[in-house]
Amino acid sequence: MLDIKVAGENAIIIYLGNQIAEKVVEDITFFTALLKQELGNVIIDIVPSYTSIMLSYRLDKIDHKSLCEQITMLIENNTLMIKMNQDVLLEIPVLYDADVGLDLADYLHEKSLNLDTLIKLHTERDYLVYGVGFSPAFAYLGTVELRLETARLETPRVKIPAGSVGIADNQTAVYPISSSGGWKIIGRTPLDLSLANPDNINLFKVGGKVRFRPIQLAEFLALGGEI
Amino acid sequence: MSFRIIKPGFLATIQDTGRAGYAEQGLSQSGVADEQAYHWTNYLLGNHFNDAAVELTIGNVEWQALDDMEMVICGADMGFTIDENPIAMWQTALIKEGEVLRCQTSKKNAGLRAIIAVKGGFQSQPAFGSRSVNLREQIGQVIKADETLLTSSLVIQKTITRQIPDYFKPDYTQPLVLRLIPGYQYDDFTEQQIEILLNQHYLLNATSDRTGCRLHGQAIHNVPEKMISEGVTYGSVEITTDGQPIILLKDRPTIGGYPKIGTVMSLDLSQLAQRQAGTQIKFELMTLEQAQQQRREFNLFFGLYN
Repeated sequence: MLDIKVAGENAIIIYLGNQIAEKVVEDITFFTALLKQELGNVIIDIVPSYTSIMLSYRLDKIDHKSLCEQITMLIENNTLMIKMNQDVLLEIPVLYDADVGLDLADYLHEKSLNLDTLIKLHTERDYLVYGVGFSPAFAYLGTVELRLETARLETPRVKIPAGSVGIADNQTAVYPISSSGGWKIIGRTPLDLSLANPDNINLFKVGGKVRFRPIQLAEFLALGGEI
Repeated sequence: MSFRIIKPGFLATIQDTGRAGYAEQGLSQSGVADEQAYHWTNYLLGNHFNDAAVELTIGNVEWQALDDMEMVICGADMGFTIDENPIAMWQTALIKEGEVLRCQTSKKNAGLRAIIAVKGGFQSQPAFGSRSVNLREQIGQVIKADETLLTSSLVIQKTITRQIPDYFKPDYTQPLVLRLIPGYQYDDFTEQQIEILLNQHYLLNATSDRTGCRLHGQAIHNVPEKMISEGVTYGSVEITTDGQPIILLKDRPTIGGYPKIGTVMSLDLSQLAQRQAGTQIKFELMTLEQAQQQRREFNLFFGLYN
């Protein structure tokens, strides 16, 4: 599937699928890299996510029509997709404990799970980055095991502490900075994923892989975590 | 050169044209809320188009100059004075060492944001290629009392006063027409839904900020369901589940999950950023070609991308 729509006076959005799927994310990842490589001189910003690639472009370099033509050609002539190298796996240590998992008790009750099962199910698989947004370095990771899926909080929390690990629908994520939000919080990482460390800007990219590692309180504190 | 901040203002942040190249990693565009007023400041001072200025919301400042500086204020008229003498908006002025720049709050309906600029621009530590502060993203901070605000060390020569003709000065008290470029999910809305959007006067909601403006009016019913999140742009018009529009501005997140009916032409967003709550807002359609033509002329005039 290929569908290009206007997204603003100097922006378009390219749809490569109409439902969330790993295969679509692979396409999105590949074509985002290809477009950056081939059209880097006209692109201002590019936002891949789930099923689409939005990009803004320089009006002094190109117009809408020729940009769409070039993109259509690039995408249609690259059907032999080379799988992107996604060997890099980011491991994030997480303390699953009621002291930091603000919704942990309610969540276990709602899902009729015990803590060990939750930890096992949440840490046993590699997650794919489907989107980065909401706030800097906030990565939408999916998909969680069926038994972990849950609705968002009916009333979003005003303040979720930095490092909080949450679940919403079939996705999971870490809040890099404290913010409001409606995800159900089951734990916390001691790592500072905020841009206070500018290198963190490159932690998550669409198409990347992430895995959670359960830790105990002692390691959480040793890694700089705060209760 | 510098100012000593006695009263920082209600909400004052350093801004430039914003961040480019980091949206992929979730960083928003950021940058001045009113591009027109901002680009006039740098134009009048002969600055580079991306030199940083202070965006002051609502007012209440008292800044003492610690050096002689050439400055200009465009945007909202907050009754600025230098040592009690009123100074004209949209016109360069000299402030001398020891003198104090003051203002109260924005005059009724006279705009929300003043852009205060100095020759050579304000200095601060850039983050990810820009000096623009984004409080939602915790990038940079508001200007605080007792801080010393650094400016360029360009030496001021005796300069002539420069100002812009009256017909270029916007009137922020007027109702506003926002020109909408159809896009995104426009084709998924019914004719009737689009008519509701175009045939009414909305009121600007008080909960608007640098992230976005909320409008209130007759609801658009049966809006398409919340959809798969996708990249949003400056001026994207989201229709929320309760049928009301939100217009996304400079500090918006990079992706969002509401259906969008199109995107407002960027130059109209400068006007929107200056309107007080309760202002009447109307939409009309604009073609992509017209929008691109007008933006190109703007960019050319102010020497953007040089």
